[in-house]
Amino acid sequence: MEQATPDPERLWQPAPLEPLSHPDAGLESMVGEETKGARDEGPGDGTMTENNFSLKKIEISVSEAEKRTGRNAMNMQETYTAYLIETRSVEHNDGQSVLTDSLWRRYSEFELLRNYLLVYYPHIVVPPLPEKRAEFVWHKLSADNMDPDFVERRRIGLENFLLRVASHPILCRDKIFYLFLTQEGNWKETVNETGFQLKADSRLKALNATFRVKNPDKRFIELKHYSDELQSVISHLLRVRARVADRLYGVYKVHGNYGRVFSEWSAIEKEMGDGLQSAGHHMDVYASSIDDILEDEEHYADQLKEYLFYAEALRAVCRKHELMQYDLEMAAQDLASKKQQCEELATGTVRTFSLKGMTTKLFGQETPEQREARIKMLEEQIKEGEQQLKSKNLEGREFVRNAWADIERFKEQKNHDLKEALISYAVMQISMCKKSILFQNVSQFLYLILKEMSYSES
Amino acid sequence: MSGGPPKALPSTGPQSLRDMPHPLAGSSSEEAVGGDSTPSPDLLTARSFGDKDLILPNGGTPAGTASPASSSSLLNRLQLDDDMDGETRDLFVTVDDPKKHVCTMETYITYRITTKSTRVEFDLPEYSVRRRYQDFDWLRNKLEESQPTHLIPPLPEKFVVKGVVDRFSEEFVETRRKALDKFLKRITDHPVLSFNEHFNVFLTAKDLNAHKKQGMALLTRVGESVKHVAGGYKLRNRPLEFAAIGEYLDTFALKLGTIDRIAQRIIKEEIEYLVELREYGPVYSTWSALEGELAEPLEGVSACIGNCSTALEELTDDMTEDFLPVLREYILYSDSMKSVLKKRDQVQAEYETKLEAVALKKEERPKVPADVEKCQDRMECFNADLKADMERWQNNKRQDFRQLLMGMADKNIQYYEKCLMAWESIIPLLQEKQEAK
Repeated sequence: MEQATPDPERLWQPAPLEPLSHPDAGLESMVGEETKGARDEGPGDGTMTENNFSLKKIEISVSEAEKRTGRNAMNMQETYTAYLIETRSVEHNDGQSVLTDSLWRRYSEFELLRNYLLVYYPHIVVPPLPEKRAEFVWHKLSADNMDPDFVERRRIGLENFLLRVASHPILCRDKIFYLFLTQEGNWKETVNETGFQLKADSRLKALNATFRVKNPDKRFIELKHYSDELQSVISHLLRVRARVADRLYGVYKVHGNYGRVFSEWSAIEKEMGDGLQSAGHHMDVYASSIDDILEDEEHYADQLKEYLFYAEALRAVCRKHELMQYDLEMAAQDLASKKQQCEELATGTVRTFSLKGMTTKLFGQETPEQREARIKMLEEQIKEGEQQLKSKNLEGREFVRNAWADIERFKEQKNHDLKEALISYAVMQISMCKKSILFQNVSQFLYLILKEMSYSES
Repeated sequence: MSGGPPKALPSTGPQSLRDMPHPLAGSSSEEAVGGDSTPSPDLLTARSFGDKDLILPNGGTPAGTASPASSSSLLNRLQLDDDMDGETRDLFVTVDDPKKHVCTMETYITYRITTKSTRVEFDLPEYSVRRRYQDFDWLRNKLEESQPTHLIPPLPEKFVVKGVVDRFSEEFVETRRKALDKFLKRITDHPVLSFNEHFNVFLTAKDLNAHKKQGMALLTRVGESVKHVAGGYKLRNRPLEFAAIGEYLDTFALKLGTIDRIAQRIIKEEIEYLVELREYGPVYSTWSALEGELAEPLEGVSACIGNCSTALEELTDDMTEDFLPVLREYILYSDSMKSVLKKRDQVQAEYETKLEAVALKKEERPKVPADVEKCQDRMECFNADLKADMERWQNNKRQDFRQLLMGMADKNIQYYEKCLMAWESIIPLLQEKQEAK
């Protein structure tokens, strides 16, 4: 199912929040300007059009992280981490990549980018950022943002974010995103100039809509429930997994205590000495193997976390729908009441209570001229209102259609990614079991051999 | 884990010594593969499992692949070879069939003792009697009294803290039964102790309590005299071997104590790990209920983790039942050995005192008086007996610990193999629909 493509003009200017153009119209203009093969993109590549409309494949990587000190908005010294983003363009012909851009960005700039995308693409499930603070840590992991392991995992998470945006058929075309990758200085100003913060829906408005909306699309209701439950179950999973990791660490490390005592024991034994010594050594090796095992498992946890945060993005799309639907319902309600008022004025019957009606009773009827004027005003308002309602309706239906298309895309992506994650988790467990078996076999074998040797000697 | 009301204790039929696997060998050890090569470190093939069946998500049963020479079978062969000593056995004793007896005053467990022997000391070729822990305790005390120059094997601990351990749980009773069986087998193997009259009575008497009352008359003179020697005499020269053994035992007991503590801690950590695992698996099930395409894979992972949890539980049970008791037994053994060494020192002390006393009375004829000679004999007997027992003990210890360590490694391997199989079996399940796309 084809995605709605934005107006081509929007590629070069910050996109104002306006109704999406008719999908077919958009597609046609795009086709005219693009060379063939615009649609095929491998994972991790972005396809972007540039001024000369020649197509190049882009490779993006967040290759380094660096600690920096600087002054913040309140002119206080602060330490932060900057990440190096490198963009390479790959020529279709020879497949060689050339470094086209490289700049440093910090986490807050990524956040700014994402917030912008959330405002301008409310119908898209916007990829999430890696967590701001380390959560679901088990005791060995540091919760410190400056910890090198955390920074490294964040670097990977940020790269993943950029790759997801770049491989999204709609988001990849956004100019602000393009500038994020290419324009080091002044980018913040450029984003802020779009005024997107003003266009953002107020939280309060959104909350109000969620409670009061009467008739949201059923699919969105289901999706909202799903995303809530998904969030809850993945959080639970991550919490328990952290505890499991903690306990497993404890088991391995206590085995390490055997190492020393076996060594000491072997010193007083004649025949058993060598066997004990080797058993002790193996205990040490076994105990230290847990660090690598758990490091690998963190990667799995990160994959789960991404989808935990994706659930929030899904939620955001649902909220937008509720807001639009509520807006629509309010507009319809307003229109209906105005029509009724008009009718009452025209026929002279007062069916509903109104202030005008009260004052009329108290202070006497208004003049026919006054009434006419009022009816005329109302009729104009009604006409306006009907137009607005029509366009809101259209907007709403477009939103639902486009959002649902992206949600389907997201579902496919999610199923694929999570399956891959589960497979690699299983592979990790398998490798760990195999290593442990080998380790036990080897130590048994050595012990046997040494036993045989000492018997033959005595 | 022990818990709940005591279940009906199962009975294992009488088996001859040869047929019964060594108490410490893996309970799911395969048949001995005769004439096979030493195990290679590359034993990555799955072994067949004797334990609980795994629950596979698609309802299949684990394909049992026969393993090549398993190290546990190799162990059994080596152990039997050591055991034989070239002599043919003529006495077989087994402890089994624990039963609970509920009486007005107390509740207790009895065990069946089956004896088969061709020895002349036994009137019948076969005996079957029931004994309780008290009786074993009585036997041990009698042996200590009547054979003070020998090492008497230890009994499992008499007292257990009520409320912490359930005295009537299957696991506890089984652990105790194994230890009691070992106790009797050690006595059976001993060339002197196995002929002891108290031992005979223990194995054969219909009513042991009647015998216990007559007990006092059977004390030997050696036992009596050892009790009367005053302490505090410093030995001239303790023979080197006994000094060395004394030192060795001190360190040995220390190290065993440490290992026991570490083992207990490991079990504790593993149990805590198990608790978390038991919560972890089901969360995947909960998730699976939310999903469409992912439902089966997630459910598969949940079942997999469940299988690993079960395997871990079996491992910790084994460690508690097989590993810890042996450590405890040898700690007790070291203690009783040290007290025998002390007695030996006392006998030597007595001898040296008498010798000195004689040497002072220079008027005595150069011939050594009779009682000093007797003392010397006693001491030399003691030394000889003890030395022989020491060697026997060292041999047993080597075997037992080798079997213990190998057995534990075996159990660990089985645990990992179960987990490995569980994870390997869900890979195709996870990949299935990927390919279909």
